[in-house]
Amino acid sequence: MRFVSLTAVAALAILTAAPAVAQDTIKIGIVVEATGPNAEAGVFTLNGAKLALEEINAAGGVLGKRLELKPEDNQSTNPGTVLAFSKLFGEKGIVSIIGPIRSTQIQAASPTIAKAGIPTMIGGTDPSLTKVNNRWVFRGRPNDSYSSRVIADFGVNTLKKRKWAIVHSTDAFGSGGMNALTASLKALGITPVLVQGYTNNSQDFTPVVLAVKKSGADIIGTYMTNSPDVGIFAKQLRQLGVSADWVGSPSLVSVTAMELAGPALNGVHSVADFTPDASAESKAYTAKYKAAYKLDPDVYSSWAYDAMRILARAIGDAKSTEPEAIRKGIVGIQGWKGVEGTYSFDDKGDGLRGYNVVRIDNGKVGFIKHIDFKD
Amino acid sequence: MPPKISRPWLVALAIVAIALPLIPYRFEVSAYVVQMFMQAVTYAIAVLGLVVVLGYTGQINLAQAAFFGLGAYGVALGTVTGGWSFWLSLAAGAAVATGAGLALGLTTIRLGGHYLAMITISFQQILDLVLVNWIEVTRGPDGVAGIPRPSLAGFELADDRAYLVFCAAVLYVVVFAVWWLPHTRLGRAMRSVRENELAAEVVGVHTLRTKVVAFSLSALLGAIGGGLYAGGFAYISPDNFNFARSVEFLTAVLLGGAQSPFGGVIGTLLIVQMPEWLKHLPESLRFIKDVYLAVYGIGVILIMVFLPEGIWGLIKAARARLARPADTTDTSGVAPLDFDVPGAAGGPVLRVKALSKHFGGLKAVDGIDIEVARGSVHALIGPNGSGKTTSLNVVSGIYRPTAGQVMLGEEDVSLLRPHQRAGRGMGRTFQNIRLFSTLSALENVMVGAQRDRNPIGRGNRALRARAMSALAFVGLADRAHVIVRNLPYGHQRLVEIARVLAGHPRLLLLDEPAAGLNQTEKMEFVDLLRRLRGHGLTIFLIDHDMGLVEKVSDRITVLNFGRKIAEGSPQEVLRNPDVIAAYLGTAGKVN
Amino acid sequence: MPRDPLPSFGTPRAPDSDPERKPSVEALTNNLQVIFQGLALGSIYALVALGFVLIIRATNVVNFAQGDFAMLGGYAMVLFFSALGWPYALALVAALVVMAIFGVLFNYGVYYPLRHRSFLPVLISTLGASIFLQNTVLAVFGPQPRPLEKTLPVDGINVGGVFLDSQYLVILAVTLLLVLGTYLFFEKTLLGKKLQATSQDKDMARLLGIPVALMISITFIYSAVLGGIAGVLVGPILFVSIGMGSIIALKAFAATIIGGFGDVTGAIVGGLLLGVIESLAAYHISVPYKDAYAFLALFLFLLVRPQGIFGEKVSEKA
Repeated sequence: MRFVSLTAVAALAILTAAPAVAQDTIKIGIVVEATGPNAEAGVFTLNGAKLALEEINAAGGVLGKRLELKPEDNQSTNPGTVLAFSKLFGEKGIVSIIGPIRSTQIQAASPTIAKAGIPTMIGGTDPSLTKVNNRWVFRGRPNDSYSSRVIADFGVNTLKKRKWAIVHSTDAFGSGGMNALTASLKALGITPVLVQGYTNNSQDFTPVVLAVKKSGADIIGTYMTNSPDVGIFAKQLRQLGVSADWVGSPSLVSVTAMELAGPALNGVHSVADFTPDASAESKAYTAKYKAAYKLDPDVYSSWAYDAMRILARAIGDAKSTEPEAIRKGIVGIQGWKGVEGTYSFDDKGDGLRGYNVVRIDNGKVGFIKHIDFKD
Repeated sequence: MPPKISRPWLVALAIVAIALPLIPYRFEVSAYVVQMFMQAVTYAIAVLGLVVVLGYTGQINLAQAAFFGLGAYGVALGTVTGGWSFWLSLAAGAAVATGAGLALGLTTIRLGGHYLAMITISFQQILDLVLVNWIEVTRGPDGVAGIPRPSLAGFELADDRAYLVFCAAVLYVVVFAVWWLPHTRLGRAMRSVRENELAAEVVGVHTLRTKVVAFSLSALLGAIGGGLYAGGFAYISPDNFNFARSVEFLTAVLLGGAQSPFGGVIGTLLIVQMPEWLKHLPESLRFIKDVYLAVYGIGVILIMVFLPEGIWGLIKAARARLARPADTTDTSGVAPLDFDVPGAAGGPVLRVKALSKHFGGLKAVDGIDIEVARGSVHALIGPNGSGKTTSLNVVSGIYRPTAGQVMLGEEDVSLLRPHQRAGRGMGRTFQNIRLFSTLSALENVMVGAQRDRNPIGRGNRALRARAMSALAFVGLADRAHVIVRNLPYGHQRLVEIARVLAGHPRLLLLDEPAAGLNQTEKMEFVDLLRRLRGHGLTIFLIDHDMGLVEKVSDRITVLNFGRKIAEGSPQEVLRNPDVIAAYLGTAGKVN
Repeated sequence: MPRDPLPSFGTPRAPDSDPERKPSVEALTNNLQVIFQGLALGSIYALVALGFVLIIRATNVVNFAQGDFAMLGGYAMVLFFSALGWPYALALVAALVVMAIFGVLFNYGVYYPLRHRSFLPVLISTLGASIFLQNTVLAVFGPQPRPLEKTLPVDGINVGGVFLDSQYLVILAVTLLLVLGTYLFFEKTLLGKKLQATSQDKDMARLLGIPVALMISITFIYSAVLGGIAGVLVGPILFVSIGMGSIIALKAFAATIIGGFGDVTGAIVGGLLLGVIESLAAYHISVPYKDAYAFLALFLFLLVRPQGIFGEKVSEKA
């Protein structure tokens, strides 16, 4: 049993009980889901940001000052996110914000961010988030146009499978992913033999599995949001005798999904922006995180870790905490090796353009390769 | 009458109300606070819809978030996809929502209570699924971004503070309207439906129409709130309009007090602000934030047990205790009750022909014929289970006859709803008194005066005058403003009579009118009946007290096992051996 | 913790499209598969609906927290079996004891203080109880769903191309047993008769010397245990999560209305019927709207035949 939310609150409490040297710090805001159904992810995000912050401060801080984290709970709702951002923007001295990971929340807050004009690092993968004409939004993860291209590329060119079934959740993440994957397959000259949506928290995937069988697909590409859905789908896929290949979005390799699905995910591939043994940087991060929190890290913490370090670097490069200068600093980051990959920011705010491909075997995630795109 | 507010309070209230939304102009208030209040104000408008449908009319509505969503999507899709003006889009969203509310209200023709809860939940869930999956129209889970602010008289409300002032103004208008509503004809009808729907129907309230209007109003207010919310936050997505939000609205209205618009506003402020306030707790108490949601659940239970009228109910009770004693009612100038019953000539007022009512295999009423002569008192007696009350219920329209006819005067009313019969001059009282317990005596009687085609003026003044006259007739004019549940039993009976008299009846159906009265009260009651007959009313009554029946009736019909076994003058009937056998089981002499 | 894959009996059917298989046979197999899933899920709805109906009959209370009884049962099992590692049977008994105690607490905390009030405050009170339960469990166990091991050590058997998940078979069997057991209990034992009497007329029962408050307590206990069993049974399939009870409860409620409000047979039949309708409609019409079908079916019944399949029209006594 874990008193998860208590940990989140304790973390928030500790972080906000700022040391008396508060005056001479650079304040970075962070908006997390600290209460509500996704509170556990919120804890991980805070963990990652905190780890980076402590590292940076231990090395002397930025521009001679210590970094300070200002967390704000968005209660996992859209209006809550808007209010959280507003609150942070209203506080003096916040120079940047690390935002949430959920695309709809980011969409909701986008006008507020644009109005305030403060650089914000987000973790949402919906491609449109950086196309919304908001020059203050920067993405700390590769967006779904890339995850879909990696899935398509790996499935078609490496696994050599051309009869695709796309199974996706009907929420924003799933629909967006489905659209992106369809487009990526089209670019490779392939039309999927099946596109099947389902509502989150379906209790039974039999109709979906039967549809997959009927379509004759030899490979399945998925964008599934919730772990229980992954678990039930995977099990029923095996029970009904489907042996097609499967390359899915990063939700497959969440700790919970693997726990729930068990051996049904053996041999299944996934794309992931964070994999512990993908690179030297990710290995180092994994070790540090484990030492600090006694837990395995996942994408919820890793992206925040990178985001914090990017902000620190940008401020350092710009030698200023003015918003415009920080913005220039971020865009100036090219070829920098983070935990999630190598960042080269473009003017739209995207820094990563590729994903790892991994394979799940007996509960272990094995790194296969990294696929990057230039554009 | 709407509660009197003294002049100084009114002025103070007005000043505060105008000043509050203008604070951000004078003082440095963060955008965060302004936005928080924007959320609270738009939610409050929706919650006021629940005050109308749940607080006033007593109908459960677990789909308020769906209506909120329809308004929001109306504005969003209209402005962003359709390029329409904000106002047109808001009107469109409101129209769709009101239509949906109307449809849901119509379902109450068959169902109430749990069923209604389920229907509203189903509607909520289906709408949620449609918003998410009908991507071509609603843009699905991505939601709709870029919703523009409206322009008011050429002035664009882009500034959050200006928009807040605008929303606050709308809220005030709505609060006023909702505050005024209970004291209108419609409002009284709603409250009567809440208190006792069957009595309301019988007394002449078009209960179905009242419930439909209540639902439609609730939906309309929900949509207005939703439309303003969309304009305020510029981005909406389906996850803000789901069942959880409906439950939140419901808890807000219960917490604040469902029976008052002020309660609705208080409740909304608390529910919206609570999570934000909790953020400011000192560290030692921070854990409350997690358990707050769990406590919220317990809070709902506690409110139901201890605070059924919410926080506003507490405030009202405190005020009542501190207030001066109620003004004594000025009973001078009350006109005597005008009966206006057409003259004694003419055929029977009530005719029942070959009437039957079967419940499955049980023949409660099995082919009876009765004629009630104009201006007479006609009693229906019989042992328990003989079908008396069932007959009365068929006559008043609560049951549909299985066969046969009910004629009121020359008109066949067999298939008319009870309120329609009341509209034709049929009045009825109940064996177990069915008054509207939280309304005053005057308000109870006014509902009776509200029946369709009552030959008095329209408008509250005429209704009041009529009601006061009726109360004076039964001798209770000085208790007009007492809440009826505080009246002694005998007086409650009299109020019930006054209520039915206020409707200018030509036929009075009385179901055991003397039940529960002591001997003195019975004597007074006999006098009352005689006075009524003297004014030309026709009375058809059921009772068990043979002494009373004998004194008061011109004619008696006796039923046994659903059939008529005797009919005639009291002397004839009460000595009839069949009648005696029916009651006592054996033939025998009567002393 | 990955385990060895559970054995299945019968090889899974040749994958994907087997050109030897005739389309009509395939269609039949698929429909049978879908119907089987529908029956199994329907049994869960039926179990929860049964617990629901028992409370309605005894107290006239519509319990919006009924689904959360299943959720609690599931978590109790997670605690005793997965976390503490007790043997399955012992853990099950412990979980049911917890549910029984909970039933008593629910009775006295939620129903008893409001027993004389109209239906609306009680209904809302049960909503509050539901919020409380879900958030308390959230605070204690955290938001991530938990797996639960299957009752039998077999994954399932393959019969003519239709895969029968062992857990679903257990659900069907246990539901059947419980329904029979409930019937026998209520009809053939004195205690059962007393409970029936209490449901039908509290005042009369009291006058006959039946301890009404105790009877109501027993009803809540039984209903809570039924809910708990449903949660333990369905946990391995749907995984144990905070919200698992909510959607089941709504469907169980719909099933009760479709079957005939307050009718025990109706609850069972309604549950099974709803499960099958849902499953077939999802397969043949559209998967994403799956939840809508249940509510549409409910809508239709409410408009056309509100007393449900087995219910009787009840008129209000004037």
